[in-house]
Amino acid sequence: MANNLLVFSASPHVKAKRTTKHIMIDVCIALLPACIMGVIYFGLNAFLILALSLLSAVISEFIYLLICGKKFKAIIKEFDFTSCVTGLLVGMSIGTNYPLYAPVFGSAFAIIVVKMLFGGTGKNLVNPAVTGRIFIFMSFQTVVGAWLLPSISAIGEPAVNTSATLLESLLKGEISNLSNLNLLLGTGVAGCIGETCKLALIIGGIYLAIRGVINIGYPIIYIAVTGLFTVALNGFEFTYFLPSILSGGLILGAIFMATDYTTTPNTTVGNIIYFVALGLVTAGLRQATGMETVSFAILLMNLFVPLIDKFVINRPFGFIKTKKTKGGV
Amino acid sequence: MSIKKGKFFPYGIHPEGRKELTSELPIEIMPLPSKVYLSMSQHIGAPAMPTVAKGDVVKKGQLIGKENGAVSANVYSSVSGTVFGVEEIINALGQKQTYVIIETDGSNEEALFESVKDFEPTTLIERIRLAGIVGLGGAGFPTAVKLSPKTQLDTLIINGAECEPYLNCDYRLMLERTEDIYKGIKHVAKALKLNNVIIGIEENKPLAIKAFEKFSDINIVVLKKQYPMGSEKHLIYCTTGRKVPVGKMPFDVGVCVQNIKTMIACYEAIELNKPLTETVMTVSGNGVTEPKNLKVALGTPLTDVLNYCGGLKDNAVKLVAGGPMMGKALIGLNHYVRKTDSGVLALINGETDTDAPTNCINCAKCARNCPMRLMPMYIESFALADDYTNAEKYGAMNCLECGSCAFNCPAKRPLVQSISMAKAKIREMKKNGK
Repeated sequence: MANNLLVFSASPHVKAKRTTKHIMIDVCIALLPACIMGVIYFGLNAFLILALSLLSAVISEFIYLLICGKKFKAIIKEFDFTSCVTGLLVGMSIGTNYPLYAPVFGSAFAIIVVKMLFGGTGKNLVNPAVTGRIFIFMSFQTVVGAWLLPSISAIGEPAVNTSATLLESLLKGEISNLSNLNLLLGTGVAGCIGETCKLALIIGGIYLAIRGVINIGYPIIYIAVTGLFTVALNGFEFTYFLPSILSGGLILGAIFMATDYTTTPNTTVGNIIYFVALGLVTAGLRQATGMETVSFAILLMNLFVPLIDKFVINRPFGFIKTKKTKGGV
Repeated sequence: MSIKKGKFFPYGIHPEGRKELTSELPIEIMPLPSKVYLSMSQHIGAPAMPTVAKGDVVKKGQLIGKENGAVSANVYSSVSGTVFGVEEIINALGQKQTYVIIETDGSNEEALFESVKDFEPTTLIERIRLAGIVGLGGAGFPTAVKLSPKTQLDTLIINGAECEPYLNCDYRLMLERTEDIYKGIKHVAKALKLNNVIIGIEENKPLAIKAFEKFSDINIVVLKKQYPMGSEKHLIYCTTGRKVPVGKMPFDVGVCVQNIKTMIACYEAIELNKPLTETVMTVSGNGVTEPKNLKVALGTPLTDVLNYCGGLKDNAVKLVAGGPMMGKALIGLNHYVRKTDSGVLALINGETDTDAPTNCINCAKCARNCPMRLMPMYIESFALADDYTNAEKYGAMNCLECGSCAFNCPAKRPLVQSISMAKAKIREMKKNGK
């Protein structure tokens, strides 16, 4: 009975253990297979880029909070790993031929401008990683030029020396000679560090779905709509279907970037609208511009989320009954 | 008799049951305390008017608080003794209420109602009203009012879901007093002039389901283990498939829902001529030395209850009156057992949650789990911005305060707190507006 320090709070008094931090750590774990495959394919440089972009994201968050007058200990205590996810995603979405300062600037921009200036975790209007990726793409593309091929060449086929990404050639009407298996594994496919091995990304996505972090249906809707719309735009040529979904940043974007909680609608119906629209915009923009547009499509659709949320809201339990004429009694 | 499976609603949550602490313990009768504190406001509606003064000698079962208005309930002395005082006390729930304090003399003399041979529906309801019976599941709505609907009902649903974690009092009563519950049900069905009685029991209580199988005129519906299955609207949906329209009451779909403990109180009032003077509650949680299921005289101070259970452990950090999902935290030990109390929990760190809230990450888990299909994150942000008009537009008044949203919130936001504040403000606005 010697307890005079009772905690007082509103109900419920028991809660699920999972916090934002746990969710973000789960996302980091889900990103690991793709990161590892990136390092295997592209070597030490890939590791350096990933490490630098991760560190840059975390450090810029710390510096921002320190400038805001938070105590270092409090920052450590409240650190929720969202900046780790952003940092990793920014690093994963660029190629190894980028200068090492590119991921540093990209991550810092994503964290400070896109996330912290809007109020930190959960307050950002658009996805920080996507914006960071676009920032790098816009700023450093001319320095870089072509995408690099991974060190492991295509299985069972001669190495291709293409400077354009597979997707770009696909959109120009050149059906690649790479098999879908190679596209899935990323062997012999030029591209970014984290986007090349689709299988690793899919494994990460399955992990997130099992852990209940994301609803796997939404990325599937996005990917399927993109594939089907590409097929439709190319005169219902179904040979386009698998290459269009297995190349470029679609799978990374669909599983890890488009499903970001903060920048997706809050209702099931809203989410379906969002992901279908995302698929249409992605395929349409790809066709129109001839380049990879997943990140632009996500950025664009992020801005529509508040609008979707305004018009699509849940109806309370028992709502339909008031409109129906047939009585249940 | 028929047993069928209940419907499933795709929302709600699945909290850890933690019922094993007390599920096997028979109900013990707690010895009478030296003093009881009987609140005049143990129900929804107007507080009762004290009918005794300091120094009066009262018997157990003697009226000490008379109902005051249409929605109100009588309060009876739960012990025999002398009135020590009639005082206003701020209790551990932070409510200022009038209490009649009675010192026990130990003689246990009992005042009973006159026994009546043949009850008519109207006399049944009159007896239930007289006995001060209220919904003992937690809401405390006067039962007699609930039994006098404007239209003829066709179904009586008995709520044996007990979906709150920790609590076992309904479960133990279903096992130990099956016959009494059955008799109570028959009387209430007679009062409502209907024959269709359904008892809904969650599937994690197979013994209770078995206990009721022997009654041929009660339909058993085995409910999924899901929270909040015990919510009136969801229980009606899962047992009968009827949806109570927004803003309407169960009687609008021809249903009356009653609690297990209320049935026992009705049985005692009608057949044993006893008013409501005691309740059965679960004392549980890892902060209590010996968790128990207890039959307690109303008005027993919490300290006596806890002492009888071996006292609090040193690591107890939170006291809760009621279940962990909808119960209220206590700010001290000056809580006195009410009619509606079905449990007292002493929780330790790790068992209860003391994390500070962080930013909402818009994960929409609250909206996915809300059994009323509301969008708690919007209502919360409107409530925090003092925009109660919009909070109402987003359905704040439909909230059950079941806690499904805050249970799963990864940002640990106190959603229920904000929403119930919004509800209070909206009620205030409406009152001032009209």
